[in-house]
Amino acid sequence: MNVLRIFDQSSGPSMTAPKPAGLNRFRLGSVMLAPILVVTILIAFLPPDGNERAHWVQFLGRFHPLLVHFPIALFLLVPILEIVGRSARFAYLHLSINFVLALATLAATTAAILGWCLGRSGGYSGSLITQHMCGGILLTLICWLCWLLRTELREFGVTYRIALTLGVGLVAWTGYRGGQLSLGRNHLTEHMPNGLRHLLGVEDSSAASASSVDPNTFYGARIQPIFTAHCISCHGADKQKGNLRLDSYRALMRGGKDGIVIQTGNIQGSDLFRRITLPVGQDDFMPKGKPPLTADEMKTIELWIGAGASDRLAISAIKGAPSGSAVPAEVKFEEVDPAAVARLRSAIAPAVAELQKQFPNILDYDSRGAADLRLNASILGGKFGDRDLEAFAPVAGHIIVADFSRTAITDHSAADIAAMKQLRVLRLTATRLTDATLLRLESLNQLESLDVYGTPITPAVLPTIAKLPKLAHFYAGQTSIRPGGSVPASLLGKLVF
Amino acid sequence: MFDFKPRPQIPLDLEIRSGSPTEVELAILQARTRRHFLRSLGGGLGTLVLGTLASRLAPSAKAAGAETAALDFSRDARAPLSPLPPQFPAKVRRVIYLHMAGAPSQLELFEHKPELKRFDGQDCPASFLAGKRFAFISGVPKLLGSQYPFHQAGQSGQWVSDRLPYIEKRLDDICFIKSMRTDQFNHAPAQLLVHTGNPRLGYPSFGSWVVYGLGTENQNLPGFIVLLSGGKTPDGGKQLWSSGFLPSVYQGVQCRSHGEPVLYLDNPEGVSRSLRRSMLDTIDDINQQTYAAFGNPETVTRIAQYEMAFRMQMDATDAMDIRKEPEAVHAQYGSKPGQASFANNCLVARRLAERGVRFIQLYHWGWDSHGADAKEALNLGFNDRCREVDQPTAALLSDLKSRGLLEDTLVVWGGEFGRTPMRENRGGQEMKYVGRDHNPGAFTIWLAGGGIKSGISHGETDDMGYEIVKDPVEIRDLHATLLYLLGFDHHKLNYRFQGLEQKLTSVKPARVVSEILA
Repeated sequence: MNVLRIFDQSSGPSMTAPKPAGLNRFRLGSVMLAPILVVTILIAFLPPDGNERAHWVQFLGRFHPLLVHFPIALFLLVPILEIVGRSARFAYLHLSINFVLALATLAATTAAILGWCLGRSGGYSGSLITQHMCGGILLTLICWLCWLLRTELREFGVTYRIALTLGVGLVAWTGYRGGQLSLGRNHLTEHMPNGLRHLLGVEDSSAASASSVDPNTFYGARIQPIFTAHCISCHGADKQKGNLRLDSYRALMRGGKDGIVIQTGNIQGSDLFRRITLPVGQDDFMPKGKPPLTADEMKTIELWIGAGASDRLAISAIKGAPSGSAVPAEVKFEEVDPAAVARLRSAIAPAVAELQKQFPNILDYDSRGAADLRLNASILGGKFGDRDLEAFAPVAGHIIVADFSRTAITDHSAADIAAMKQLRVLRLTATRLTDATLLRLESLNQLESLDVYGTPITPAVLPTIAKLPKLAHFYAGQTSIRPGGSVPASLLGKLVF
Repeated sequence: MFDFKPRPQIPLDLEIRSGSPTEVELAILQARTRRHFLRSLGGGLGTLVLGTLASRLAPSAKAAGAETAALDFSRDARAPLSPLPPQFPAKVRRVIYLHMAGAPSQLELFEHKPELKRFDGQDCPASFLAGKRFAFISGVPKLLGSQYPFHQAGQSGQWVSDRLPYIEKRLDDICFIKSMRTDQFNHAPAQLLVHTGNPRLGYPSFGSWVVYGLGTENQNLPGFIVLLSGGKTPDGGKQLWSSGFLPSVYQGVQCRSHGEPVLYLDNPEGVSRSLRRSMLDTIDDINQQTYAAFGNPETVTRIAQYEMAFRMQMDATDAMDIRKEPEAVHAQYGSKPGQASFANNCLVARRLAERGVRFIQLYHWGWDSHGADAKEALNLGFNDRCREVDQPTAALLSDLKSRGLLEDTLVVWGGEFGRTPMRENRGGQEMKYVGRDHNPGAFTIWLAGGGIKSGISHGETDDMGYEIVKDPVEIRDLHATLLYLLGFDHHKLNYRFQGLEQKLTSVKPARVVSEILA
């Protein structure tokens, strides 16, 4: 439509005296349009495809980030000059606007051509680069249009203003896309202070990059983490050097510009394995410019390719894989939330406080974040008896570890011990408890460790003890239970003497 | 990142009245450092602005605050050792640390290096010596293969030499770290580093940190007990169990394994227990008045120690008295009542563990096998050391295990650094006896007990056993791991001193060795 108006106004009867110079300048405008159209065609028919091309294309391309800032600055200068020029004091600024616009158009065209070179020289494909290029070309066109409107058509009205505004918006949008290309998708918010992040409601993207691989497969648990750690910065969503992506199983098996990189079952024929095992510094070595994979990681990949390189194999399917995950799991320290802890303990806190006053130092929470309790009566030794144990009835259900070693409790306490339904560890070392108590403990289905060292316990308790579902250790030294006696099968390996 | 960590407000215009500062004033003065002074010069206004900003960005400031919220270790001043729960559920409730002072040779005990044996007697390659400092080696030393044959043992098939026939039977309970590393090559600083996380004097020992963090359940015994054998105090001296800048109530209490466990614990002749009680009451009164006047927390420590000594008169004597053990147990440990031996100390350690002592530290001196004389020769004195510790150590492990205590006890065995694969040539000469020099670059320690994998070996050294090639573990990593097993994030077990949240692992980043956790 604008093109029509150009013709209308330049050749129409309304122009009183069409100047030949104006016509020449109009031709100049067309001349400036030509390279823009050329680069548009280049981009349309020879888009960046991720393949690497060396030599002059790459050489020129590297100047794109350098040069691209000139058209940005020049174009942004135009609205500033227009606005400031309105004041009578700065009216002279208007004189230079045409020149600045022409310069901006030239710079934008050059930047677009270099940008195409860079995109073409490898490592880029996908929607991000397409958007950036379209933005660049559009911006170049708008530069040219503004210049045309201003110089040739003397149009300072709505069309010009809209074009200018559009251009400013495009500068921001295209620039942002360019930043994402070179610095990563979240480059603006990546290092945002937590406070600001919270204020603006920006998600912490580093935390939320869950991948879709199945962590129960060998591929998901062992192979993909290696690629994620070493490879995807160049072969991932943002860059695809050699047109290869290693961020999913499908992409991995599809391969890159040189064909497939993994030959199932064929280690020698797998280009990926050949490259990661080359000596550092060789041309084909991967990851290029980074430290090589560890011996364990190479071994893991080798075993996986040898076993068929499937994404369905279970973690345990490959024997002899280097132990542990490729990257050792780091310990995470849990944070204690005092309010949550107080809620958790609210039901027993008064009773616990009372008992702690009555029996100092022997009853405490399992940890600062827990409502589970530990009772260590062994500290009081013979001074702790059945009567004392009765006092703990209100919190019995929360006790997970109870140590009555060397105390004076007797079989009268059996019911009180059996009431500790959550008990995981029970120590009765050197007490006078007999089989009568142990036979009543079959309801303790959380019990993992039972210690009757040095008690009058007899082998008669073994069938009952064998029924405890979670029991892992039964310490029966210095009792009448003997190793090699008639021990129920389910207790084998659990008896400790 | 902004750091919105709240800092204690120190009044800048504090004036101490002459005579008797209050406790608060004293605490303020103690907490004042050069950093406060520098901050008060220029930072005041900036901090104010930043503080206002921080409160504007409220949610984040709170989140950051929660992240660094300090754990509360405060206790009733009269019961400074009362137990506190760990930060998170812990696998380990107590530690028995067997420190082999002088650095036992890993190459004669646990590090099987057939390649080194092959090069025995040849000149050490120049690359081994470049840029290295040694305590005694000079010129070009000869490589020295292991002096004793190795074999695999136990179901886990770990390698061990023939010097430790008893420990060999416990290999399946043991987790080796063969890639320990230190940056100190002399005994005293290296021992300080192993015990306090710092090679300089003045830092609290590992045991002090543990007792500070967890207290101890048995108030009639110290929470941190030290037992010595081998005839000498370790080179690092009593600093190894000092409480450093922590209140001195958390320091290790050195006990004797025969006779009176603590000297002068018994009442003198003619003094009855009730007379002792009334005497203590009077002293306490005076101490209370002193505390009221000067507010020095060390006065409270003193009162608490007097009280503990009074309670210990009964319990310590009983705990240390190994004559009460049956003959079979003495045969197991090789202990003989009335001697000062590692065997007796191991038996005492088990008795203390049963009684709820939090941290039991044993030292056995004499592992410094340079080969300068017969006592410290690999082919002579070293054998005696092996014999002295082998049976009792193995007995301690199996005794703890059969009593169900190994489940939540951690036993640590090791020295302060390793020994070189080169034979020591003091003064560039071949020496009469066979020995090795200090090697801070690689040594072996082992752990057994709660929360760790057993029958495994973590980390590797090269074929000569000289440098670590896989999974190096720094001393601070070991400390972080042990604290983790005891239920602490090593950052959180801290104590504010000289303007810094001081911690066992000091300021360099430490890693919990997750590979060895069960």
